Amino acid sequence: MAGIYVHVPFCKSKCRYCDFASFPDKIGFAESYMTCVYREMLMRSEELKDYAFDTLYIGGGTPSVIDESYIAMLVAAARKYYKLAPDAEITIEMNPGTVSAGKIALYKKCGINRFSVGLQTAIDSQLEELGRCHNLNQFVSCAKLLKGENFSVDVMIGLKGQTTDDIDKTISVASAFGASHISMYALTPEDGTPIYTDYLNGELPDGDEVAAMYQFGVRRLKELGFERYEVSNFAKKGKQSRHNLNYWRRGEYIGFGVSASSHIANVRFTNTFDLDEYFKCILSNHLPVIDREEVDVDGRKEESIMLALRTSEGLNVEEFNSLYGADFFKEYSTALAKNSPYLDVQGDRVRIKDEYLYVQNTIICDFLS
Amino acid sequence: MKKPNKLIRNFCIIAHIDHGKSTLADRLIELTGQVSKRDMEEQLLDSMDIERERGITIKLTPVRMFYDADDGNEYVFNLIDTPGHVDFTYEVSRSLAACEGAILIVDASQGIEAQTLANVYLALENNLEILPVINKIDLPSARPDEAKKEIEEVIGLDASYAPLVSAKEGTNIKEVLEDAVKYFPPPDGDEDAPLKALIFDSYYDNYKGVILFVRLKDGKVRVGDRITTFRSDKVYEVTETGVFAPSLLPKNGLFAGEVGYIAASIKSIQDVAVGDTVINADDRADAPLPGYKHVQPVVFCGIYPLDGSRFNDLKDALLKLQLNDASLVFEPDNSQALGFGFRCGFLGLLHMEIMQERVEREFNLDIITTAPSVSYRVVKTDGESLFVDNPSHLPPVSEIDYMEEPIVKTDIYSPPEYLGQIMDLCRDKRGVFGQMTYLDANRVRLEYKLPLNEIIFDFFDQIKSRTRGYASFDYELAGYERSKLVKLDILLNGEVCDALSMIVHEDSAYARGRMLCENLKDAIPRQLFEIPVQAAIGGKIIARETVKAMRKDVLAKCYGGDITRKKKLLEKQKEGKKRMRSIGSVEVPSEVFMQILKTNKD
Repeated sequence: MAGIYVHVPFCKSKCRYCDFASFPDKIGFAESYMTCVYREMLMRSEELKDYAFDTLYIGGGTPSVIDESYIAMLVAAARKYYKLAPDAEITIEMNPGTVSAGKIALYKKCGINRFSVGLQTAIDSQLEELGRCHNLNQFVSCAKLLKGENFSVDVMIGLKGQTTDDIDKTISVASAFGASHISMYALTPEDGTPIYTDYLNGELPDGDEVAAMYQFGVRRLKELGFERYEVSNFAKKGKQSRHNLNYWRRGEYIGFGVSASSHIANVRFTNTFDLDEYFKCILSNHLPVIDREEVDVDGRKEESIMLALRTSEGLNVEEFNSLYGADFFKEYSTALAKNSPYLDVQGDRVRIKDEYLYVQNTIICDFLS
Repeated sequence: MKKPNKLIRNFCIIAHIDHGKSTLADRLIELTGQVSKRDMEEQLLDSMDIERERGITIKLTPVRMFYDADDGNEYVFNLIDTPGHVDFTYEVSRSLAACEGAILIVDASQGIEAQTLANVYLALENNLEILPVINKIDLPSARPDEAKKEIEEVIGLDASYAPLVSAKEGTNIKEVLEDAVKYFPPPDGDEDAPLKALIFDSYYDNYKGVILFVRLKDGKVRVGDRITTFRSDKVYEVTETGVFAPSLLPKNGLFAGEVGYIAASIKSIQDVAVGDTVINADDRADAPLPGYKHVQPVVFCGIYPLDGSRFNDLKDALLKLQLNDASLVFEPDNSQALGFGFRCGFLGLLHMEIMQERVEREFNLDIITTAPSVSYRVVKTDGESLFVDNPSHLPPVSEIDYMEEPIVKTDIYSPPEYLGQIMDLCRDKRGVFGQMTYLDANRVRLEYKLPLNEIIFDFFDQIKSRTRGYASFDYELAGYERSKLVKLDILLNGEVCDALSMIVHEDSAYARGRMLCENLKDAIPRQLFEIPVQAAIGGKIIARETVKAMRKDVLAKCYGGDITRKKKLLEKQKEGKKRMRSIGSVEVPSEVFMQILKTNKD
């Protein structure tokens, strides 16, 4: 099992919290950019010819802002250059207000079978505060177009002035319009983003308040039939994101486009974040990789634990032991003993208890060397 | 009998902190041409980083200068710089014993300060000739005539000939040099007599072994001589002799009257004590020079390596510092909370602070220090009495008949408008008022008797903040007095943390306990469970605060590109955890052990 990720770095406008590679003013480069992405896919195809891929994730940015034909060509290129399973999970991220019935029809036609909609909040004033360029009505129209489809909705907590009622409304709307999956994130004020000043001025809810919002959201989602399978991800039965599960199982994936990351054969590498540099590399037939780290066995073990403990299924000890020739319970006996009140150890599964999932860093740290 | 060179002048400088001692020393060195102005680092003699940063002199530093006097002779000046702070009186007494004269610097705008006075008396006791110098005459507020009058009235010295200088601007410095020739006597002694050299300081050099700073009273010493000291039976062969220029400058042979250094491949720090007399092993002198009075440490604290495996490094560091500063005492100690470390004794709070800083900087060690304590006299019910400076070594309450604490006699100097605040503070600190003297219209001396353990807490900060920095104070030990003292324990999550225990007066125990709990509540990071922070006296809880359980500690998103970054964040968090100590199940950052000193939240 392996995944393909493609980054589309264009947006209508930059959100106030965004620190991703996205270039709202460069949308005119979409055609050249996508051409380069196809070419990058080709450049890697020989090296990855033995890999069987079963997920494709088109993220951004806002992939839905560019012409849908580029997306169709992208899926086609993925099928042409790689062994992408016929029943592969193919996801595209989209923002309300950027899609039409025709667009979605073409997405479906080319094989996209999962959609991720960036709602964030159902409160228009909060959307405006975040610098999002859509409102609740536009989300509703978008959701109606996706009726009957497998789609996910992003929800943010920890917003300025947000109440649990607001979170309730957001989750309820998403659920009522048929979302099968919800990702619920706490706003992270990154240094350098406009929202960071709100944070510095103490205008954002503090950790305790965010924790309370999170616990509220978890409860509400459960009532609506969404099961938590990772600290920030909730799904109806059978609707987990296979692409993301692969990340948390320390699976392999190849990323294309600016800022895309990859994990192939125990090497993690990242493409340039600079659009011009990306063009230059591809046009001169060079891979646009700027960072490359070979993960040694200790690092692999740490990653496996750190990622698995984010999930509800936790760590499969038997798998871990056979993969690394290790004896997990013996090697980590100190960390296990110290954290025994917070861990649920059943047979070959070690997971963080539900009520401690939101304070997992402290626990995970004890498992790092 | 051969008299020492008549053209030598050995002298030191006495001054209050900030009256310009190091600056004047620099000017003297500059004018005698030892160091060119360009090559001079600001304040040459304060060579330690700490000294430059704080603008104070901690260690005495000798320097040799040549001076072409107006009488046509070239004189050799040996200047021994001395610390001004009350804690370092010990160092001062050492340098005084190596000199025949002392320059007394008085700030033209501030007059004589308490500590200066103490050092002047010390110099007079050592039969030193004193040359008063009025400094900072460039300041608009300078009142040189009043300063002179004060010298005559307070000390009884004739100040009519005192040079008026500005060390900062270099005014009248030559006059000081001429006066040094005129007023300071040449060294006494006999070059033909057997060697007698006073060790007034020493330090350890990685290549040469222990370097002895000496003042030769009688005889001579050359490379190849076999030397020993009065108190040691080990014999060493001299490998190098030299003078301070101000860095070590080899010169074969030192003679009676001279100040210099001796290296003799002395490997063991303990074999040569400052204050001892170096003699020739093949031509032994019959009696040692008078040493120094032995100083008793008055402030104690525990020092532990942050990384428990560096215990031996800490031990080496303390041994090396002790060589350089014999007043530092220490013995191995063991704390449940902090592991293996040392209980150290210091001459005062500043001395303690400086030593802690030197351990960290000069030996690159991260240390945890516990709150300072004093030495209490405990009389047990069976009549036995003992001194306890470590709260966790206190016998059980049932075995204690009574306890005594060290008392100090304090002189506080202040402008009269702050008297009210100072008296309030002294009352809060259990002070007993002695008397009040108006030194002049602007300065009052208040005498108080205060328990030393109140002074080491935050007295100095309080005095300074309540008088906007105008007051200064001095203290000297004045014996022990019986007192109602109790041991205050701190419990974290129900377990006593021995490193946080302290001995306090019964009346202030409750307030101290409350404050400590409040400070600790803020200093201990939130953990996965609620942590009660309690203060207790003899098992009875007197205060409680709670560190709430942590509710959010998670990296929100973690997808493809984030994995490496998130792992690094977790590793960083893990590093932070490594700097903590476990007290039972509670992880406590090392800084917490000093929180005990803070009085209010800031």
